[in-house]
Amino acid sequence: MSSTRPAARAGTSAPAGNGSDGANRSLELGPRDRLVGQLYVEGNLRVVGTVEGGLEVTGSVEIDEGGKVTGPVTARDRLIVGRAGSLKGDVRVARLVVQDGATFSGNVSMGKFVEAPPKPVEVVESEPVKVIEPVKVAEVARAPEAAKPAELFNPAPAAQPVKPVQPVKPVQPLKSVQPVKPVQPVTPVRPVKPVQAVKSAQPARPQQPNKPPQKGKRR
Amino acid sequence: MDVQEAVAESTHVASADDNGDAKRDGQRKFTMGPNDSLEGKLVYDGSVHIDGHVEGEFRVTGNLDVATGATARISIEAANVTVKGNVEGAVNVKDKLTLGKNARLSGDIVVRRLQIEDGASLNGHVRMGDIEQHPSGG
Repeated sequence: MSSTRPAARAGTSAPAGNGSDGANRSLELGPRDRLVGQLYVEGNLRVVGTVEGGLEVTGSVEIDEGGKVTGPVTARDRLIVGRAGSLKGDVRVARLVVQDGATFSGNVSMGKFVEAPPKPVEVVESEPVKVIEPVKVAEVARAPEAAKPAELFNPAPAAQPVKPVQPVKPVQPLKSVQPVKPVQPVTPVRPVKPVQAVKSAQPARPQQPNKPPQKGKRR
Repeated sequence: MDVQEAVAESTHVASADDNGDAKRDGQRKFTMGPNDSLEGKLVYDGSVHIDGHVEGEFRVTGNLDVATGATARISIEAANVTVKGNVEGAVNVKDKLTLGKNARLSGDIVVRRLQIEDGASLNGHVRMGDIEQHPSGG
């Protein structure tokens, strides 16, 4: 998760969360306070008001007593959503407490904090390059107006023989497929009774057109 | 809903005590011990206590709790769920989900009420609100 701290704070070196100064700083957004935007706090934050936007805090965040946060929350220490708190947004925290009665929706990722967690390196598998089939000149020439097929179609790239791209690896045989368990023998199905031969099948009556179609016919 | 699908494929399903499937207050309870294990799908009309190791799918009409030290790789559907051990999988709770202080849960959660104690670990998506019920209860 990218840091949301504003540019003005970029000069600050180590986060103060583990330092003695700043650790005890505490900020509160009261019940009538309202924040729209991004907030970065070195210290703790208590939200009793409304926040629409992202919060990043080096200490703990507490949302309670009607506090409502809509947006992502990052807390290096702990996030507490109290029984009267509401949080809607993705959360990245070291510790999380949600009290019964709280409202909370979003993605949660917990664990030790690493500065800018490294993305897993994606192994880009090179797709086998399709061999472009050279344009069949013979076909083109057959067309009556195609006097100069080379100009019209410009088949230059196709003309060069494409190097055989990496040979396609043979598909690895599946390793040790689990042996199929023997299916339990199916309980013998009752033999179907022979249907009684219909006596002298009557020809189907033509449907009466003025009858509305019946739903859920019983049989 | 195929109740018959409940596969008894466990290596050692057992009742830890004598009350493996006991009736308590009119409610059936399926109790596992720390050395038990179960793999497969369980549809159970009652409450389930998970211990040891389980893998598969649990659909329970009552409460489901995962004991401390238990490991579960399951998808859960239950009325109330209490997790004290490790759970990996989707959790669908009709009422309340409680994560104890040693709980580890990774998976997506749909729940009406949520309580997470300090020390619990959660990774996944949480959605709160009323669950749309399946049309047939079973």
